Amino acid sequence: MFSVATFLSSFEPLFWAARFTLLISVLGIALGLVIAALVCAAALSRFAPFRWLAALWVSFLRGVPLLVQLLLFYYLLPVIGIDVPALVAAVVTVGICASAYISEIWRGAIMALPTGQVAAATAIGMAPRDIWTRIILPQAFKLSLPALVNELILLVKASSLVSVVGILELTRASQAQAATTFRPLEVYLAAACIYLLINLFLAALGRYLEHRLAV
Amino acid sequence: MPGASSVEIRKVNKHHGQFHALKDVDLDILPGKVTCLIGPSGSGKSTLLRCINFLDEYESGEIRIDGQLIGYQSPGGARMPGRTLREIRRSIGMVFQQFNLWPHMTALGNVTEGLIRVRGLPKTEAERRAREALEKVGLSDKMASHPSRLSGGQQQRVAIARTLAMEPRLMLFDEPTSALDPELVGEVLNVMKTLATEGMTMVVVTHEMGFAAHVADQVAFMEKGELVSVDVPDKILHNPQDSRIKAFLRTYHERNSF
Amino acid sequence: MDWTILQQYGPLLLSGFGTTILCWALGTVFSMVLGLLIALLQRYGPRPLGWVIQAYIEIIRGTPFLVQLFVLYYGGPLIGLRLDALPAGLLGLTIYGSPYFAEIFRSAFNAVPLGQIEAARAIGMSELSIIRRILLPLGLVSALPALVNFSIILTKETVILSIITVPELTYQTQRMSTETFRYIEANLALALFFWALVETISRVGRKLEKRVTRHLIERT
Repeated sequence: MFSVATFLSSFEPLFWAARFTLLISVLGIALGLVIAALVCAAALSRFAPFRWLAALWVSFLRGVPLLVQLLLFYYLLPVIGIDVPALVAAVVTVGICASAYISEIWRGAIMALPTGQVAAATAIGMAPRDIWTRIILPQAFKLSLPALVNELILLVKASSLVSVVGILELTRASQAQAATTFRPLEVYLAAACIYLLINLFLAALGRYLEHRLAV
Repeated sequence: MPGASSVEIRKVNKHHGQFHALKDVDLDILPGKVTCLIGPSGSGKSTLLRCINFLDEYESGEIRIDGQLIGYQSPGGARMPGRTLREIRRSIGMVFQQFNLWPHMTALGNVTEGLIRVRGLPKTEAERRAREALEKVGLSDKMASHPSRLSGGQQQRVAIARTLAMEPRLMLFDEPTSALDPELVGEVLNVMKTLATEGMTMVVVTHEMGFAAHVADQVAFMEKGELVSVDVPDKILHNPQDSRIKAFLRTYHERNSF
Repeated sequence: MDWTILQQYGPLLLSGFGTTILCWALGTVFSMVLGLLIALLQRYGPRPLGWVIQAYIEIIRGTPFLVQLFVLYYGGPLIGLRLDALPAGLLGLTIYGSPYFAEIFRSAFNAVPLGQIEAARAIGMSELSIIRRILLPLGLVSALPALVNFSIILTKETVILSIITVPELTYQTQRMSTETFRYIEANLALALFFWALVETISRVGRKLEKRVTRHLIERT
């Protein structure tokens, strides 16, 4: 039988663990943004080998499931002499994976800008560098904001997988609690509710941004 | 043409939200005659046309086709059941501005679709009739082509054949040439002229004043949801009394002179 | 690479591969069918049903697949839903995928020009015929890229089933690596395998897309 009391009492300890879910997601996307800027620049570069490298990076990271990436890094890092706390390794893996998706979001946003704008800027004699910083990038970044919020939502959900390599975030914490209380249904449902709350909030933020941009 | 329909429109009103799209419109469409609806854009001509086969729902008043009320079971009463509505629509053909061909079917497939699904004809019989209809609009060599392979004029003629094959007793044309390049307008108007001489009842929303002048039996001028005037083409187009019609025709001539 | 290990674990990996493909294929088909049903109910069903469906979509899309699996597999028995790992995994995949597919179908149906549906109404076609002959064929074609795309995402989600002990490829690979201590080789091979699988499906999908849309591309 479903126990409402157990369900409600599960929330408090899980809220504590949810902070790590948020931490991993936010740091993950921050790292993803930085790497994605480089990957995207390489993808749009005139130098073909850069483009190939970017394509390889995107294709590999989008082709391999995050869980497999996590397992691979988890075992690989100590062997190649990188000894970092598991939490750091997890954030880096999540960030690297996100970079592939974010760079595609940005590339798409840049490609979506009407070519006439660049022609107009060139026609009045703007330098390529100014065209990028004044015309293309500000618009593309604005255009991409809703998609970036969506990416953050995906990361919040994906961060549940780092429980597999032993990080005590929301999912791992609910596993531990389910094991001690023998009430997996109530505990996991409580965890699901917390994920849902976070993501509904982020989705509302995304809609707000989209609305603001539309005006 | 045997069994050509008549339409009576009485005190019809319709709103789009706050906007009063049709205001107490009265109009008689006589069997075997061509009625052209003209007027500035947003005047309600297309809305009135779409009310005749109840694609747009009017709120009050009556529209009767051969005496049978369309859309409602009784004036101001409950909505007509979908089956009855479909029954009536089978005898009304409609041609759209944007052709609205089904892009996943060939020209022949577009025409046979209604014959098979709605009229329940066997495939061979449907194809025979579809071929006839396509020949009539001069497209016997394009039957196997998909719409994406046809010019706008050809697409519109397929759309007319699609309607003709259903053997309608009334045909509605919603700006049938407005989406066409100028050089393709003629081929569509010619098909419509042939239909008119054969005695089809036709209601045509159009900006082609030449067609209205030469082919129509009566021309109705609409503005701001009101039917301002209805008369023989000569009266409306060459000797208009109403200042609104004069103003409309003046703009029309200015735009089309060079 | 030690070839005797591969020889020894070959059958195990092969059966894992089979289970992965099975989960992916069935999971995709089931969730696509459920998604289509949801989209049609949302379009033609009564308003209150639409709200219930919207809530379902938000809840499933707002929670991690792993947590959904835990609720189903570990929480299910408490309310009498006792499933083995594989059926639980398939049911989980079906539930997880359905709202995404439903959204794909919904926007594809909305993209079918209203005029083409009105043309069918104007000749007196019934709503059922319109769905079958106009809405579905046109909607499915325009949905195809998104359908292929999400099917690819589902291949990657099948690896999560290993966590609830569904014996698919990831599960068998972990078993092999803990028994042989070849963690890196095993996981690297697994990564390369998925990379190849996803690239292959994407390519096939793009070909398929070109084929079915060939009539719909305007002549220029």
